[in-house]
Amino acid sequence: MTDAAFRVHREQDNPPRVVLSGDWSLRQTKGHFARLREQLAPLFADPQLRWDLREVERLDSAAGAMLLQGWQYTLGDRVLLRPEQAEQLATLAALPRRDSLEQPPITLRDMLKGAWCYYFDFIRHLVDFVMLVGALVLEIGYLFRKPRQIPWKEISANIYKGGVMALPVTALVGFMIGIAMSYLMALQLRKFGADIFIINILGMSIIREFGPILMAVLVAGRSGSAMTAQIGVMRVTEEIDALAAMGISRVLRLVLPKVVGLVAVAPLLVFWTSCWALLGAMLAAKLQLGISFDFFIEYLPRAVKPVNLTLAMLKALMFGLLIALVACHFGLRIKPNTESLSSSTTASVVVAITVVILVDAVFAILTRSIGL
Amino acid sequence: MSEAANDTMSTSEQPIVCEIHHLWTEFDKLVVHRNLDLTLRKGEVMALVGGSGSGKTTLLRHIIGLTQPSSGQIKLFGYVLGKLNRDQQRQLRNRFGMLFQHGALFSALNVFDNIAFPLRELHQFDEDTIHLLVMHKLALVELEPEHAQLLPAQLSGGMIKRVALARALVLEPELLFLDEPTAGLDPDRSEAFVELIQNLRRQLGLTVLFITHDVATLSALADRVAVLADQHIVANCPIEALGKVDHPFVRNFFHSVKQHLARLN
Repeated sequence: MTDAAFRVHREQDNPPRVVLSGDWSLRQTKGHFARLREQLAPLFADPQLRWDLREVERLDSAAGAMLLQGWQYTLGDRVLLRPEQAEQLATLAALPRRDSLEQPPITLRDMLKGAWCYYFDFIRHLVDFVMLVGALVLEIGYLFRKPRQIPWKEISANIYKGGVMALPVTALVGFMIGIAMSYLMALQLRKFGADIFIINILGMSIIREFGPILMAVLVAGRSGSAMTAQIGVMRVTEEIDALAAMGISRVLRLVLPKVVGLVAVAPLLVFWTSCWALLGAMLAAKLQLGISFDFFIEYLPRAVKPVNLTLAMLKALMFGLLIALVACHFGLRIKPNTESLSSSTTASVVVAITVVILVDAVFAILTRSIGL
Repeated sequence: MSEAANDTMSTSEQPIVCEIHHLWTEFDKLVVHRNLDLTLRKGEVMALVGGSGSGKTTLLRHIIGLTQPSSGQIKLFGYVLGKLNRDQQRQLRNRFGMLFQHGALFSALNVFDNIAFPLRELHQFDEDTIHLLVMHKLALVELEPEHAQLLPAQLSGGMIKRVALARALVLEPELLFLDEPTAGLDPDRSEAFVELIQNLRRQLGLTVLFITHDVATLSALADRVAVLADQHIVANCPIEALGKVDHPFVRNFFHSVKQHLARLN
């Protein structure tokens, strides 16, 4: 078969006509349709021209659609066709066109409606979240009556995944933050000759603030996103429905172990992270200010009252609970498509970190008179 | 190969579309295909049958170049896919369409965008033309224009297969691969889908290679049946000639086909 081609015939008594020949189909070598359309554009614009397709060896629907669009979707007498081509093009011309489905322009009303939808969506999130918490409380009540149903294995798996596996990364990040903070503080404090206060400042900020927040951010990024994605994929593959069909509560089997697991490991992780951050701080303080390890450890309990550690543990419990709940909430809302999976996982991490920081700020204000 | 496998048909003068030569596939110590040969000619509709786990889908994945066999050669339209450069490979891949078993529609895109996707990737057409072509393919697989805005998650199993078929057909391929086209459809829908493929074959002059477990689909669609057993093709012949092949799997299989045909009569 020859390539798609066309030529313009100009005879004396007849109106000029465009003769198409060759293989007008997608099966031909690529890159020719865009070029052909460009070359044909001036000819399409001329309504006097006649078109002759009878020499075309093969005409597929792609070529047909392109030509038809050039002729403004009307064939008329000016197009000469073989019968089967006429049938083919008539089928194409009868299909609904793009402009027939054109959307109306956006009005102020639509925008207000959109804003209302956002608001409504937000309210629905809150309602769903409260319902999830309620369901969790009911399940815990149920477990008190039927302790045999406690999903020990899942809880243990979550402690391992969310806690043990998180040890290296939290230690590394804590240590690095400790070193960085200590160096910066040391430079400032030396100016005032207040070297020893580095223990007060770092001890307080790491134990009360950095430890819990670092843990929360890392765990939200690690475990929170994993939980959302896991529940989401289980929804996509109908595994959650399979659980429900077996009469197993999804809250009991999926949400509860994650929440319990994370609440259990969060205080330990905070303690671990804080210890490594203090270690980093100690190292930098020794190198920069010459404060010995013994002195640092001895002075620390006097500078930072033990109640601060209790506050940190309380915060850790809250953060663990919030991260797990937010992750499960977003996981259960995932719709069975990839776009929803990715946006929900992102939302889960962003919302978890934001909520944690908000709660942290409120907590800091409420406990401002304790332990200082 | 057996005698029946060499039985030639009137299509034997037609050019060869797909040719598999001495193909071996091994996963660690498990041999899936042992010295397998298969030839598909233009205009043929060939069914690939075989027991579960006999390597039918693996073979199909080799043919369309998703996986590489351990050794052997697969030629599509006379070319070895792996030996072409990137643009040539893409061009060759546009000459065949594949219908995956579960549709493999892009779940984030609606029906329209799913079908339009290969066309948009060509960068040859403007949106008006693409719209017309998508509507054409929707009509071809007997779906309504209203369905174009639905997401894959909102479709029934039969509709997913239709949309996937429309997507496989949108670049006007010469060769179509179907992996279990009627699996998971009820008998009515399965019959309708078979009819659809028959119509398409008549209209577009397609060459088809399909995998199936369904005897009804097989007897309605296939010109030839290739039986994959014992790691190679034990029979490759028209469905009536299967009776002459002496192989336990083929005998059982032919028996169930005969029963089905007897029921129809």
